[in-house]
Amino acid sequence: MIGSLARSAARTELAGPAPFNAPLFRTLIEGVPEDERCVVLDLGKVCPQVITLFGGHRCRVEIAEVAQELELLNRDLDREALQHVAEGALPALLSEPVDLVLCWDTPNYLNREALRMLMAQVAERARPGTLAHALIYYAEPQMPVEPGHYVPDADGSLVNVAACTELRPAPRYTPEDLRLCLPAYTIERAMLLGNGMQEFLFRL
Amino acid sequence: MFERGKKESPDGGREEQVHQESWANTDRKEPAMSSSNVSQGVAAIGRSIRINGDLQGEEDLRIEGEVNGTIRLNNNTVTIGQEGKIKADVYAKSVSVEGTVEGDLYGAEHISVRKSAKVQGNIISPRVSLEDGARFKGSIEMDPEAVKSALGEATQAPRTTPKSANGKGAAQAAPIASAKPASAEAAAAAKT
Repeated sequence: MIGSLARSAARTELAGPAPFNAPLFRTLIEGVPEDERCVVLDLGKVCPQVITLFGGHRCRVEIAEVAQELELLNRDLDREALQHVAEGALPALLSEPVDLVLCWDTPNYLNREALRMLMAQVAERARPGTLAHALIYYAEPQMPVEPGHYVPDADGSLVNVAACTELRPAPRYTPEDLRLCLPAYTIERAMLLGNGMQEFLFRL
Repeated sequence: MFERGKKESPDGGREEQVHQESWANTDRKEPAMSSSNVSQGVAAIGRSIRINGDLQGEEDLRIEGEVNGTIRLNNNTVTIGQEGKIKADVYAKSVSVEGTVEGDLYGAEHISVRKSAKVQGNIISPRVSLEDGARFKGSIEMDPEAVKSALGEATQAPRTTPKSANGKGAAQAAPIASAKPASAEAAAAAKT
């Protein structure tokens, strides 16, 4: 365990998880219209603070908790089977499309094929112009073995409150990797964060 | 135990539409739930009780057993206890979930999902509280207009066919996502 992950783990042991600045997440949230309906797809685990965050808006929040399906998604399946798994990992196709997608660090836990298929299925549920936010382990070669549980702070920063300390190699997807895996999306903005993660905002 | 002091309807039957065998079981298994868990004025379904059918009534209800069907207590509070397992849509004034739910929850006033809860379905209520640690897969409708519309339609004429989380039509302003009828594993297995 090296670098910022090690420092972060050490901090966690001493004083709990440390918040980190996520400017693109803040931008995304600030852009949610207060008086217009908005459908949010959260690929992570349900988080009371996220619900509170959108509680003041005309929102519906779809919780997918894709982490439950990671093992299946990463299996060596043929395309049709993988599509079915990806469809099953997401809420049913709606007549009301998604406006905003919170991926958190889920993409790091998917192999390229699974990532491509899952995000293609997300795209089918979303309207053109939908924004998707993601956190990619980039600077460090290791990442926790399980996806994080990110809690937004009042000031717009994020805290990973997941208790997982065991590490595994990170895929360290580059922007080019992500372009290839997410052909329906364009990278709107990307920022390297202080904790070594790269924050991405994709637009459909 | 389930309906202590419950008045019988004019035709001599119970107001609730439940599977007859379940009633027999209920009568036989009075001690299924400890008295400490049954406060005055709150009906309770003990942990050994399984009900297939629709529940309706006019008092608060705590469920520690299993219910498959529909629960409609529009003016009361429904609590699904830690031992409770329901595969049903719930229509109530308030809903509190500590156990397992597969179905949609309609709360005219409030829905709370405790950390021990496992919910697969949709939540429609003007006030929703979730505790960290709860397992939830589905949607939470927080748009006041959509909630009002959905609750208005949901509390009208009771459905004859129970709708569940697995994809049948919902009475709501905007379509609510259906929770999955089967696991992704089942989907994969079907295809491989």
